[in-house]
Amino acid sequence: MTLLQVRGVTRRFGGLTAVDDVSFDVFEGTVKALIGPNGAGKSTLFNALTGFDKPDEGSVLFDGEELVGQRPRDTVRAGVARTFQNTQLFEDMTAGENVMVGCQARQRRSFTTAMLRLPGAIAEDREAREEASRLLRLIGVEEWIDVPAADLPAGIRRLVEIARALATRPRLLLLDEPAAGLNATETRELVQTLFRVRDSGVTVVIVEHDMGLVMEVSDEIVVLDRGRKIAEGPPRMIQKDPAVIAAYLGGDEEDDV
Amino acid sequence: MNAKTLRALAPLVAVAVALLVPLVVSDRFILKVFTFAGINALVVVGLALLFGYAGQVSLGHAAFMGLGAYTSAFCTVELEWPWLLGFVAAGAVAAFGGLILAIPALRLKGYYLAMATLGFGLLMSLAFTEARPITGGVDGFTGIPFPSLGPLEIRSAASLYWLVWGAVGIAVLVAHNITSLRPGRAMRALHGSELGAQACGVDIVGVKVRTFVVSALMAGLAGALYAGVVGFVSPSVFTLTASITFIAMTIVGGTSSLAGPILAAVALTLVQYVDALIPGLPRETAQTIQSYQEDIYGLAIVLVVIFAPRGLAGLWKRRNAGGETP
Repeated sequence: MTLLQVRGVTRRFGGLTAVDDVSFDVFEGTVKALIGPNGAGKSTLFNALTGFDKPDEGSVLFDGEELVGQRPRDTVRAGVARTFQNTQLFEDMTAGENVMVGCQARQRRSFTTAMLRLPGAIAEDREAREEASRLLRLIGVEEWIDVPAADLPAGIRRLVEIARALATRPRLLLLDEPAAGLNATETRELVQTLFRVRDSGVTVVIVEHDMGLVMEVSDEIVVLDRGRKIAEGPPRMIQKDPAVIAAYLGGDEEDDV
Repeated sequence: MNAKTLRALAPLVAVAVALLVPLVVSDRFILKVFTFAGINALVVVGLALLFGYAGQVSLGHAAFMGLGAYTSAFCTVELEWPWLLGFVAAGAVAAFGGLILAIPALRLKGYYLAMATLGFGLLMSLAFTEARPITGGVDGFTGIPFPSLGPLEIRSAASLYWLVWGAVGIAVLVAHNITSLRPGRAMRALHGSELGAQACGVDIVGVKVRTFVVSALMAGLAGALYAGVVGFVSPSVFTLTASITFIAMTIVGGTSSLAGPILAAVALTLVQYVDALIPGLPRETAQTIQSYQEDIYGLAIVLVVIFAPRGLAGLWKRRNAGGETP
């Protein structure tokens, strides 16, 4: 089943077209990678998919629902969670508290309920606490639960941010360069986590520079270059695609006039 | 005693100490000083939520206190309402002011928000002076009755003290409920990373508006208590200096804490009345301290920002955390 339909998404900044008429589909239960050289428009596309930015043209259908024009909060509530290239953890809060904030996406108790400390608010709080420790265990970092985010090593920060995104109970998880700044061991742990996330039924879209990781985890790859989609297909095909090789190695320059 | 039992006992000890002060202190002036400390603490509890937890600065909080003070004065004197009704009205008017100030706060951050709230404070302080028919202008509003709860008039120094600190106690309870549950995490998330909070589905607009309103409400109630305790309200009380004093107390007290800012509010209030508190203090020394009062606050802010960015509360937490990790 097609979970995400991206159709003709275009985003211009002044005279620059950062994303140019990009279309692709993401099937439920798969891992799709977006790759491309620096400045190819990957992050811009990501922001357009998650409500952090509004594309000038095009449509993004998530399970039949239009995401373009929605606020990030509505996108999250619809079931699309994301992480950031520069991890956006809450530094003064512990790993556990960070994940608990993720649970807020689907919590409904009012401010007044909490202010008066009514039983509903207490119950909700306990659920969030249990959910946070469950997710940190799933990701394999439960021993860091009480450590402030500011004191976490880079690899753990990425994983906690993924746990926080999972706490919103997404059906689609978008990861923006999750392996950036990680060493080999940390990248191995990340790959294990990605498989665990996929096996738990969450569809994943990943922007990544680490080609080894991309080839290992993804079912399909979309290659962007200067805002345009130049190739799409399974990893083996992408590796042999002449247009992709040209874009990465800077082959013939005939379209550079 | 380990940190956990200490943490459980600390609020009880604080309440006991606060309750006992009037029984130990017989000097009415000193009792009044501690009552003023309570009024400041009430404003600072609201500011701790707004600034210490949600990271939204306000350099105009004295304006909310003023709104509350004048509303209470007007309702009890001109409209002859019962004090309690005027008290509620004071909270409502200040909360509405908070709602108004929340609008720029949705678009502005950091220095720009500081400037907007500063402007709001100056504007309100001008309004207090100019709206003569309601506020009495520069001469102020006189003849405000003592607070009363039904037929019970609260006029002795000790009972005023208990009234004010009772209000502080309730405010702390409410603030603690907010901070220890979901809304408090949303505020701290907003403070930590607005992008991250949005990605978690936090209602950024709702959190900011509610925090501004609750914080303004507490300042407004503090203003109403001030009017009742002093019996006189004038624009010279709700100035930029007062706003900065409140934010100084909050910064010195520390982020993500209620106890720290309350302690700082009490301590920095006492500085103003140092001559009454330390009987043997030479007159010149007291005068020097009082004339440099604002510089002392400024210096306290600078020292805290450089050496303990998370304030007194941050120092305390770091010390405890150091003991706990293996």
